[in-house]
Amino acid sequence: MQEVDFGFFVSLFGHTLSFWWLIIPAIFLGLIVGAIPGFSAANTIIILLPLTLAMGEELGLIFMVALYCSSRMGAGIPAILVNIPGTAGAAATPLDGYPMTKQGRGPQALAISFVSSTFGGLLTTIVVLFVMPLIVQVVYYLHSVEMIVVMLFGISLIATIAARDTLKGLIAGFFGLMIGAIGADHVYATPRGTLGFLELYDGVPLIPALVGLFAITEAFLIIEGQSILTEKGKVLLRDARWAETFEGARDALKRWWHIVWTSLIGLVIGVVPGAGAAIASFVAYQQSRTFSKTPELYGTGHIEGLIAPESANNGVTSGTLVPLLVIGIPGGATAAIMLVVMQYHGTTVGPDLFIQQPLLAYGVFSAMAVTYLLMIVTVLPLARYMSRVTMISTIYIAPLIISFTLVGSFVPRAYVFDMYLALGFGVLGYIARRTGYHVAAILIGVILGPLLESYFLRALKMSQGDIMVIFSSKVGNVLWVCLALSLAIPYLKDLRRKRTAMRDALHRGEAAAKGGTEE
Amino acid sequence: MSAELPSEKREKTPVGADLLIPGAAVAFTLYYFSTIIDSPWTAQVSAFFVGTILLALCFLLLVGITRRVARGEASLRFDPLISPAEVVPKRLALLGLTLGYIFFIDWLGFTATTFLFLMFGMTLLSGWQRDNKRLIVILSAVLSIGGYLLFVVAFERRFPEGPFEQFFQSLLSSFGGA
Repeated sequence: MQEVDFGFFVSLFGHTLSFWWLIIPAIFLGLIVGAIPGFSAANTIIILLPLTLAMGEELGLIFMVALYCSSRMGAGIPAILVNIPGTAGAAATPLDGYPMTKQGRGPQALAISFVSSTFGGLLTTIVVLFVMPLIVQVVYYLHSVEMIVVMLFGISLIATIAARDTLKGLIAGFFGLMIGAIGADHVYATPRGTLGFLELYDGVPLIPALVGLFAITEAFLIIEGQSILTEKGKVLLRDARWAETFEGARDALKRWWHIVWTSLIGLVIGVVPGAGAAIASFVAYQQSRTFSKTPELYGTGHIEGLIAPESANNGVTSGTLVPLLVIGIPGGATAAIMLVVMQYHGTTVGPDLFIQQPLLAYGVFSAMAVTYLLMIVTVLPLARYMSRVTMISTIYIAPLIISFTLVGSFVPRAYVFDMYLALGFGVLGYIARRTGYHVAAILIGVILGPLLESYFLRALKMSQGDIMVIFSSKVGNVLWVCLALSLAIPYLKDLRRKRTAMRDALHRGEAAAKGGTEE
Repeated sequence: MSAELPSEKREKTPVGADLLIPGAAVAFTLYYFSTIIDSPWTAQVSAFFVGTILLALCFLLLVGITRRVARGEASLRFDPLISPAEVVPKRLALLGLTLGYIFFIDWLGFTATTFLFLMFGMTLLSGWQRDNKRLIVILSAVLSIGGYLLFVVAFERRFPEGPFEQFFQSLLSSFGGA
């Protein structure tokens, strides 16, 4: 049996590095598919499955891991440049990334995103390699009841983060949850809220929701001007040189501690099956804002507001593979496909894998580390050129976004209905954006809706229909308190800030009146 | 003489549009409840739990807005949705064009419909200027055919098929057969 020590990891790393010829093309492919809504890493891996299976287990897994990691980063590119996240995991990225682009700081924003993603991903991969057995223990404490609170926690966090008005954010999130509950009942197969459409019996498909809420909405908004950039932004971007890219990289590296702790948030959330990058990026963003000395700058093109979601959603990539390899539960769609490939080759996942085939088990994470290292040198130079896309007039961009993303929403199920659905979500998104209900909160609600319901059903089945089961767990109750605090603290802080401002204004008024009397 | 008082007339915040999303949420929630009324209790709990919270939140917002309107701080106008006014016709035309795109794509297929949509969409947004007409036609053709080659031919995605796709496929198969 092979001994797993430091020497083992060094030799494993060298071995994985020798597959650079496979990893680099996978990185570029992942960047492209990640950037196109509807073409997720999971879909691409499915399309390329015959190729992946023909490669053999080790090569196939390395290829999939590289594609997975780079697609996560790729999803942030359109989120930053045109306010359209490639996947739901990048839904928090435009909060500060897009304002930076509008200010003409696109190259810096992309460089920050690339550096945060690669270092966040690299760090969490290294952490996972060493502390994997400990991380898995967390999963054992989360059952149906705790997951219900985690889901509601996710929604409340997004409400307090994404929307300026918490009440509007909560309405958007809970409306999303209701929309996400459309479809046939999991147990009794009764159609609910489908408006009579057969196409909705399987629930609301996520790609049309994503396309509509972000892409279509954005296309209808950007036509107000000839360019998505401000006048100052145009000048800045036109004059952009390599210095801007390096400036962005430097800005991110200066905040290395921020990358570290937000990527670790992503890692912990990634370990929880089903939680995923979308929740991780919002939780990291909210935590970043809560502990910031300048929370008011978030949403205006703040560097830390971009670092947090990008580090976190790449931290998720390594976390997702932990439950897959250790307990055989895939943390997401891509992990599920990896499981299929491993099973095809006769590999049984579980704790024994790390003892019997350490080269394969740890090799997955080694491939991840090598991918992130290679991404630093291959992707960073692209930041300067990619940001040029925002110089194109909206006359050409808007119809292009509408047509290609609408067809992207057709792809997963081949229903024209899904294109109408995307347009419907587009109209909803337009109204939401115009009236201060953040679209990301609606989207996360749509994603979590079916999950929340399934956890509810499980919890109720165990308690024989007693609703009080949701307060029956110690861990769950702690989470309920955290949920209440997360809603109350921003409100109390805001109240305190307003009172202080009012008191200061009163003092100033009194001082001015006193001065006037003395004169 | 005391200094001149600031004008009493303050701009009222338009909040009418703020009620659209809660209105839709309330209507949908009530409709959803009507579809689960006969379901077993365990199948109702999640929806009633989420729906009741949503209704309560909408009620809170409505109370807040009513108080602001009553105090004269806000009005029930829909300004945020219809501003800037000069873009509204363009936006509605683009919405109509998009509906047409989805409607015709089933018959004409991806490539031809995308070409027409891009051409009319770009022409509409450019204000029917003549100087960029050729660029728009070339760009629309390159993008729609490029999209077809990338997504359908290279990635083998299922896009709506029409006369162009069928012609291209028969062309490819005849070359393959030869």
